[in-house]
Amino acid sequence: MKPMARGRVGTGTPATRVLGVVTLAAIAVLGLFALVLSPADELQGDSVRLLYVHVPAASLAYLSFAMSAMASALYLWPRTRRPGWDRLAGVTAEIGVLFTGIVLITGMLWGKVSWGAYWTWDARLTSTALLFVLYVGYLAVRRMPAAVDVRAKRSAVVGLVAIIDVPIVHWAVDWWQGQHPQSTILHLHPKISGLMAFSLFLGFVAGLLSFAWLLMHRYRLAVMEDALEAQWLDLAIEDRQREGTVPAAGAAAR
Amino acid sequence: MTDVGYIVVGWVVVVGGLGTYALRVVRRGRALSRELPDEDKPWT
Repeated sequence: MKPMARGRVGTGTPATRVLGVVTLAAIAVLGLFALVLSPADELQGDSVRLLYVHVPAASLAYLSFAMSAMASALYLWPRTRRPGWDRLAGVTAEIGVLFTGIVLITGMLWGKVSWGAYWTWDARLTSTALLFVLYVGYLAVRRMPAAVDVRAKRSAVVGLVAIIDVPIVHWAVDWWQGQHPQSTILHLHPKISGLMAFSLFLGFVAGLLSFAWLLMHRYRLAVMEDALEAQWLDLAIEDRQREGTVPAAGAAAR
Repeated sequence: MTDVGYIVVGWVVVVGGLGTYALRVVRRGRALSRELPDEDKPWT
């Protein structure tokens, strides 16, 4: 067994610590602008303050799942197959599930204020809920016991199937007329401006910084999880080999 | 400000969710890093 090392502890480095401080500062500035300085919307009133976290969280969920799918494809492609791609696919999917959960909860709260109901079976809402379930399923598949390569390939296939729902979620508001409003910013003439637009921009900045920080730490954690799994596997093989020789030696003694 | 309750709950979910997840990752990272040699931690 490897000796218990006593080197650097944790997943942090000076760079990630600086990133962490900048992220916390960005979240604080976002809070100031989104909750205090920006005005209430003419139509939606103060509930628009949920927009500054809801929309960036949705974009980051898309980004996470797109990265996961790309990493899955790179793992499946024999010429680019590396354990790191499988690891990245799993890590980004997990972070994507976190952001999708945030999107669903903030969306439900916003829906309650705007429509009077936490949930309607609107195409955008339903496809987002499906996205959440699909990626929770993907994470469950990653935990199913199997050989490392088999598990990675199986997960990559599931990841590539799950990503199909992302464009459906995105264009659901255009394809099916539901209650969910269309895109707020991806228009030639955006529907918000001034301090509201700036608050939304800050939401994206704080969200991206959070995403980068989480990704770095979670990826390093995954590296250690894989190293420990390999260590346990080595130990199990050693045990099996020992078990195989001990009875033979006992039988020889008789 | 109107609908304060919904806005506060929404923001608590966002900050709390991200914070809880970050804390869990950092804590687990610290625990696992104690069981591994430095060569298994390329960032160190």
